[in-house]
Amino acid sequence: MKLSKFWLLLVVLPLFAFSTHKYYLSLTDINYRSESKSVQIIINVFMDDIEMALNKDYNIDLQLTTKKELKNNDEYFQKYLDKKLHFKINNIPKTFTYVGKEYDGDLVFFYLEIPNIKSINDLEIENTILMHHFPDQQNLIKLKVGKKHKSILLTAKTDKGLLKF
Amino acid sequence: MKKFSLLLFSLFLMITTGFSQENNITKQGHTNQNKFRQLKQDLPTPNSQRTASGAPGVNYTQQKVDYRMDIVLDDEKQRISGSETIIYHNNSKDELAYLWVQLDQNMRAKDSKTPDISSGKIRKSLSKSRFNRSYPKEEFDGGFYVTGVTNTDGSKLSHTINQTMMRINLPKPLASGETFSFNVKWWYNINNHRTQGGRSGFEHFPKDNNNNYVIAQFYPRMCVYDNVEGWQNDQFWGRSEFALEFGDFEVNITVPADHMLGATGVLQNEKEVLSKTELRRLKKARKTYDNPVVIRTQKEAIELEKTKSNETKTWKFKATNVRDYAFATSRKFIWDAMAVDINGKNVMAYSLYSKEANPLYGDHSTRAVAQTLKTYSKYTFDYPYHKAISVDGQMGMEYPQICFNPGRPNPDGTYSDRTKYRMIKVTIHEVGHNFFPMIVNSDERQWTWMDEGLNSYMEMLAELDYDPNFPITRGYPKNIVRYMSGDQSKIAPIMSKGDNVYSFGNNAYGKPATALWILRETIMGKELFDHAFKTYSQRWMFKHPTPADFFRTMEDASGVDLDWFWRGWFYTTDVTDIGIKDVKKFYTKENGDRVNFIEDTTPGLSFGEEKTKDSKYHYEITYNKPGGLVMPIIVHFNYTDGTSERKVYPAQIWRYNDKEVTKVFSSSKEISKITIDPYQETADVDTSNNSWPKPTKNKFEKFKQKVKG
Repeated sequence: MKLSKFWLLLVVLPLFAFSTHKYYLSLTDINYRSESKSVQIIINVFMDDIEMALNKDYNIDLQLTTKKELKNNDEYFQKYLDKKLHFKINNIPKTFTYVGKEYDGDLVFFYLEIPNIKSINDLEIENTILMHHFPDQQNLIKLKVGKKHKSILLTAKTDKGLLKF
Repeated sequence: MKKFSLLLFSLFLMITTGFSQENNITKQGHTNQNKFRQLKQDLPTPNSQRTASGAPGVNYTQQKVDYRMDIVLDDEKQRISGSETIIYHNNSKDELAYLWVQLDQNMRAKDSKTPDISSGKIRKSLSKSRFNRSYPKEEFDGGFYVTGVTNTDGSKLSHTINQTMMRINLPKPLASGETFSFNVKWWYNINNHRTQGGRSGFEHFPKDNNNNYVIAQFYPRMCVYDNVEGWQNDQFWGRSEFALEFGDFEVNITVPADHMLGATGVLQNEKEVLSKTELRRLKKARKTYDNPVVIRTQKEAIELEKTKSNETKTWKFKATNVRDYAFATSRKFIWDAMAVDINGKNVMAYSLYSKEANPLYGDHSTRAVAQTLKTYSKYTFDYPYHKAISVDGQMGMEYPQICFNPGRPNPDGTYSDRTKYRMIKVTIHEVGHNFFPMIVNSDERQWTWMDEGLNSYMEMLAELDYDPNFPITRGYPKNIVRYMSGDQSKIAPIMSKGDNVYSFGNNAYGKPATALWILRETIMGKELFDHAFKTYSQRWMFKHPTPADFFRTMEDASGVDLDWFWRGWFYTTDVTDIGIKDVKKFYTKENGDRVNFIEDTTPGLSFGEEKTKDSKYHYEITYNKPGGLVMPIIVHFNYTDGTSERKVYPAQIWRYNDKEVTKVFSSSKEISKITIDPYQETADVDTSNNSWPKPTKNKFEKFKQKVKG
């Protein structure tokens, strides 16, 4: 029963083309805060897409924003992001802490933090969120350090990028 | 004297050049780049067909095309065959040497160029359904097989097929006011829209071996000829939809006898195709305004889908003044109906759906259709047709009086709120297309936003009428920020042709809908906006408006110059970003016959003890505008006594300086906080500069604090 529903979602969504015009884009806002010596990360993704991806990957039924919403969904979000998101700062791999998530309309916002960063010369990011299930997924990365901005668009072909100052 | 004037002149030069080191460089001039300059150079010159007020002119003409068609559906082979007589009325003042016909199905033909213009890469992996769609085992034998193009006397008529279009080479030029009739015969294989995609097609149900057909673009139909484009000369590539003429249709559709069918037009032979029970229920539905009446039940449909009739039935329709024709047919269809009172006129809301779409469709489809007709009629014109049908077509596509919509419950019949709202949303949107572009007949091939944008805006009003808590995901200013603040190399202005834009949904639907929402809620006010929008709708109903006609009417009927708004929102990809740069505080002190302003340098917004008791609180506030769009400055002042005040400076405040302006605000109360656009009305892409004192915590830190408690 579950499988057939997924099948339906998988097939139907790309064909909705004419009126809802789905597009596949996530936004990762990375902000280095010198006051707290931490890298603050806010990621927004489409709720439908992330729900479908996690349901399929972990064989769960998240039912986000409904009364039947899976209670421990943060565990799955954290697990998923740990797998799909990797950072190197000044060429040293860094792990992030999962602060939490919130919903706004059809978007889910994830808040992540990399503490104890004294300075940033360059940041490498690998972001494959949603790319497995949505081949057209694009993940836009924006980095802000002080008053300087950098951005890069990651796709299934180029899922990793180096942002240098 | 001469010496003195020379001295003066050099002094003048020194002052005007600001003592700069470029003293010897001749200053270059510039053209008018003011964001409030009028659009006259960008819009076509008004004429007697399209006036400067935005209304159709005294010499406005429009072609008329009538169709008489006999259509046969072959359910075994999933094939349509048809023959038609096209009666073309040349109402223009021009003589026509040839006519152009659209052959949209040829987009699916083996020699279609559509696949050739899309780029592609090899993916790491694809879902099986997607793989089968992108790499089909067998090439689909699609496209029209045109088997005859003849004069009414049966003789051959010269024609030339150019991809998705066909030129009829007239035996002699068609003079103004004359009519030319000709016949076309054709057949084509219907695409499976669930596996191959498409704006029409069939869906196969392996369990009971049945097909639901949602059929459109199924007949060769005339291109538009007008004074803007001449003949349409742009192929159907698959995305930018259609431009069509109005006319009258007489259509006979032959399908298996056990099918339930819905189509554009008034059914002429209901006694031949409906059972007595169905006719009785339909009669009841015509007087039932509160709940849908089921005319063919789920139980009856399930009985029918178990067998296949070898007989056929012919459904006969007449449609007056429609721009297109479509139908849906299946033995699986359940049919429910409800009457809607549109200002004293009875209009029927219908839904056709298979059991797989129930109870979702039974619960909401017909009600959503009815709501759309009511809300849209209120803001535009009374719905002029006799019915509107929503079909469980599992896509989202619109035709006159009939549309195909998505959404199905889980196999156990349950459905989530999000499934429900998505289905209602698309249904309202597609039924709403009856108004734009089926009646206000803009050219979607050229300007997708003209129907999609206006319709997406109207859709919001209908959704809020259906349910005041409707989860609107597109149209509110804050919803478009993510798109507008994105990568500029992947954003096109709204005034772009649909085939060429990135992020189609945001460009042609979301952003124009947001722009209209902002005009209504923030810039013009509901009353002025609604009157102008209604004027546009009524001026151009059953006609062909262009962007200029819309822009001009909105200004002409409201008395509000909006050239700056169209220029910024529709012709550029600029964003809104307005901030507070600095705030200075002053109090006054009388000094003889003068009043002195004395700056209070106490940190923050509060005044120090030096302030004289009888002085007002004077603030000199500098607003800056990192964003390219000019927009009103919406300011909220919070006072220390707990009250607040809203002040809106019109966009024209930026007319002399596009970067920053300084304003004085005087109050008898002390201000504790100043916030720009606190209710996110302007799609401001960066709100970190919107408050004073400057916030100490950013969005991330606020969230972290909330989580950690």
